[in-house]
Amino acid sequence: MSPQLRYVGQRLPRVDSEAKARGAALFAGDIRLPRMLHAKVLRSPHAHARILSVDYSEALKVPGVRAVVSGQDSAAVKWGVFRYTRDQVLLPVERVRFLGEEVAAIAAESLTAAEEALALIKVQYQPLPVMLNVWEAMAEGAPLLHDDHPHNINVHVAINVGDVEQGFRESHLVREDTFSAPEDSYFMTEPYAVVANPLADGSLELWMPNAAPHQKAKALANALKLPLGKVIVRKCAIGGAFGGRSDVFPAEFIAALLAIKAQRPVRLVYSREENSLATRKGHGMFTMIKTGVDQEGRVLARDITCYMDGGAYSSTGPIATSVPFLCMEQCYKLPNVRFNGYRVYTNKPIGGMYRVHGRAFASGVDLQLDLLAEELGLDPLEVRLKNARQAGETTPTGSLVQSCGLTECITKSALAAGWRAKYGKLPPWRGIGLGTNSVQTGFPMGIRGGSSAMVKFNEDGQATVISGVVDNGQGNDHMLVQIAAEVLGLELGDIQLISADTQATPNDPGSYSMISTLAGGGAVKAACQDALAQLLAVAAPALQAPPQDLEAQGGQIMVANDPDRALPVAKAVRLALAQGKPIMGRGSFFPRVDNKREWLSNPFGQLSETFSFGACVAEVEVDPTTGRVRILNLVLSQDCGRALNPLIVEGQFEGGAAMGGVGGMLAEEFQWTKEGRCLNPSFLEYKVPLACDMPAMANIIVESMDQSGPFGAKEAGMSVAMSAAQAIAGAVANAIGRPVFEYPLTPARVLRAIQEKLAGLPAKGPQG
Amino acid sequence: MDKPRPKQIFSAQVNGQWVELLIAPQETLLEVLRDHLELTGSKEGCGEGVCGACTVLVDNQPRRACLTLALEAQGLPVLTVEGLAQGGELSREQRSFIAHGAIQCGYCAPGMLMATRDLLSRQPTPGEEAIRRQISGHVCRCTGYAKIVEAVAALGQASPGEDRP
Repeated sequence: MSPQLRYVGQRLPRVDSEAKARGAALFAGDIRLPRMLHAKVLRSPHAHARILSVDYSEALKVPGVRAVVSGQDSAAVKWGVFRYTRDQVLLPVERVRFLGEEVAAIAAESLTAAEEALALIKVQYQPLPVMLNVWEAMAEGAPLLHDDHPHNINVHVAINVGDVEQGFRESHLVREDTFSAPEDSYFMTEPYAVVANPLADGSLELWMPNAAPHQKAKALANALKLPLGKVIVRKCAIGGAFGGRSDVFPAEFIAALLAIKAQRPVRLVYSREENSLATRKGHGMFTMIKTGVDQEGRVLARDITCYMDGGAYSSTGPIATSVPFLCMEQCYKLPNVRFNGYRVYTNKPIGGMYRVHGRAFASGVDLQLDLLAEELGLDPLEVRLKNARQAGETTPTGSLVQSCGLTECITKSALAAGWRAKYGKLPPWRGIGLGTNSVQTGFPMGIRGGSSAMVKFNEDGQATVISGVVDNGQGNDHMLVQIAAEVLGLELGDIQLISADTQATPNDPGSYSMISTLAGGGAVKAACQDALAQLLAVAAPALQAPPQDLEAQGGQIMVANDPDRALPVAKAVRLALAQGKPIMGRGSFFPRVDNKREWLSNPFGQLSETFSFGACVAEVEVDPTTGRVRILNLVLSQDCGRALNPLIVEGQFEGGAAMGGVGGMLAEEFQWTKEGRCLNPSFLEYKVPLACDMPAMANIIVESMDQSGPFGAKEAGMSVAMSAAQAIAGAVANAIGRPVFEYPLTPARVLRAIQEKLAGLPAKGPQG
Repeated sequence: MDKPRPKQIFSAQVNGQWVELLIAPQETLLEVLRDHLELTGSKEGCGEGVCGACTVLVDNQPRRACLTLALEAQGLPVLTVEGLAQGGELSREQRSFIAHGAIQCGYCAPGMLMATRDLLSRQPTPGEEAIRRQISGHVCRCTGYAKIVEAVAALGQASPGEDRP
């Protein structure tokens, strides 16, 4: 590899941004095919009910109606991410478990006809008792949402490393606190949409926003009983994911069924409310954290019990229940640790993996460290540094951390924020807080855990890269093209990209586990190196130099240190064609993880090949009369291995801070009626941050140059979404001189804490 | 179902071209742009005028196309994101958004760009506060708005932070 990099580390505009700026990028809902029908879904008005009958005979009589489907068409086959979590019939037959669950659907010539027919479907329900929180659902005698799960416990992750009780006995100080937060939600700007098109050869092509085209295709092929190669998930522009497009939804199953039944293309576009309630939402959470520290603030033992409101079905439950713990155990040294994570079924929409992975978990851990530090008379910054993970260490559950810039993140963020001048010295109602976190780059996924790529040279000297990596908006397309251009010595514009199309692209794990740069980027890099080696081998005789003396630069193959001896890449490609050796590179990246590791049965072993780390500092001002929090400044830092494109990395930081920090810690929460109806599924009532809500942000990119990542890169941005929330929670507690245990920190919650403090009441966490 | 109301002729100058269409009177401007004219750059993010992704300029005024009846734009010039580039050349707003990394998933970009065009037409060198006020009618879930503010500020050559408290 040439030591001089032309693209890596440069602030480059993204290759996909011009089409988006022109309004020419096609999102799923923009796709229109000849003879396309329009679909609408009938949803349950009950949070829990038995379906007694579905009669759509009247609906079929509406002019323009071409197909109707209900539970009878689903063959009651249960779907699940894991073999042991198959609990969701994609169109339920006998029972609905949340308000808004799919019951039937119609495809018609127009949306108006579909809507009119929908109103004529007669469904008889027998309402059943509704359980809307984990306590009701786990109560003795509560009806079971899934018969094989006693107490409605869907998932129990149990981890016990070291001797926690002994650690507490040896501790100088032990604290126990409970933290809680209701559900947060993705609110990606694009509402969900699916287009399904039956093709003449019996295959089915589909477009939908997704985080893993190959995983969508596999699940749909199973559900539709079609060969995998006949379910083609195509590429389209995707309007954000944040964890909320990861698994399989009834929407694509329904659109596929309707399309097959009508033998016409079908488009199903969700409303904003449907996107909020019938795709995924975050988990509501109660977290009990007990931590013991020595006199210097080193954590000796920690015991966490967490109850997560998972909603009606499993989805990615075993992962979602584990990740909050894993992020913590990666970030901090923990000689003795115990975790019991329970995901509980309730009559709410389905909980999915959410970028912030539990405000009431991560913020609880850090806020409790602040409180312990305060009791010990220590600076929370020093306590963080004492407990911070270092490269070369192994996490409690057995992952080697091969690169780690956490200490640098903490130190640089604190310095930039002026921590030492401010902590404990700010005027009244001003506060400063620090959050630190770590995230994975991928999970053990067995045969689906690796990414492969191909690259072919075209006779004009340009190259086409073929990769299964999907771009949800974070810039993966650009990442792949930039890596290819760097390796092949071509311009960005010389690289054509075919990606995220299951008919053409080789397997990829998907972009929801922060693995795309490591695995997908690594695979493209390897494929390009393979192609380049072929190209140099062809050029070597022509240039009368051994291949190892050649390099590709600016569309030329040249002899190193002798730039006058050069051959245009196009000419080398033609030479290869003439010799019957067309240049076709292939490469793969299979992360070194322990594939015996399993979320529930064996949560031990190497989880990810590498991990990223981050630290944020927040400074806030609280209005004591209203409880309103104003964030004055955020310093965001992360060890992303290497910033392939700092412009994109900064965008991930800033967007993460908005979603996890400003929105997630100050405003975002779903609210429910006692019937299980969400009160705020729309942008009007669910408060996502706007430009006027955002504080000044400073970005600090820390580069630990990971030994496995392409050019040293790991993952960018997710830890910032978490550590910004942690920093703000700490800063507010620092400002008002009292911890707040329930999130988000709305004015009402902050004001209550201030009033309780003034009344001399003890600070208490939420009551389960 | 109610008897459908008679269709009407809708005529407007969309992105510089006069169009004439037979539409139902209850159709929104967004439906007419997306479904009849196949100008799908303007997006529907919420359908209730909150997210701003459908924003277009009607007679040089920003309008939520999802809440605007098409017939309200009768006879008027309508500018959508597809009309910003002239003769294949990107507009300065588009160039600045691309250069500053202000576009991630791109779903809000059409509305943001139209809001930018509107702001700059009234206030050629807006300060940061004015920029934030203008784009606060638009939801972006990816960027945290920082790079969008930078992209707009660069067009007015006002330095970011100038008029922020």
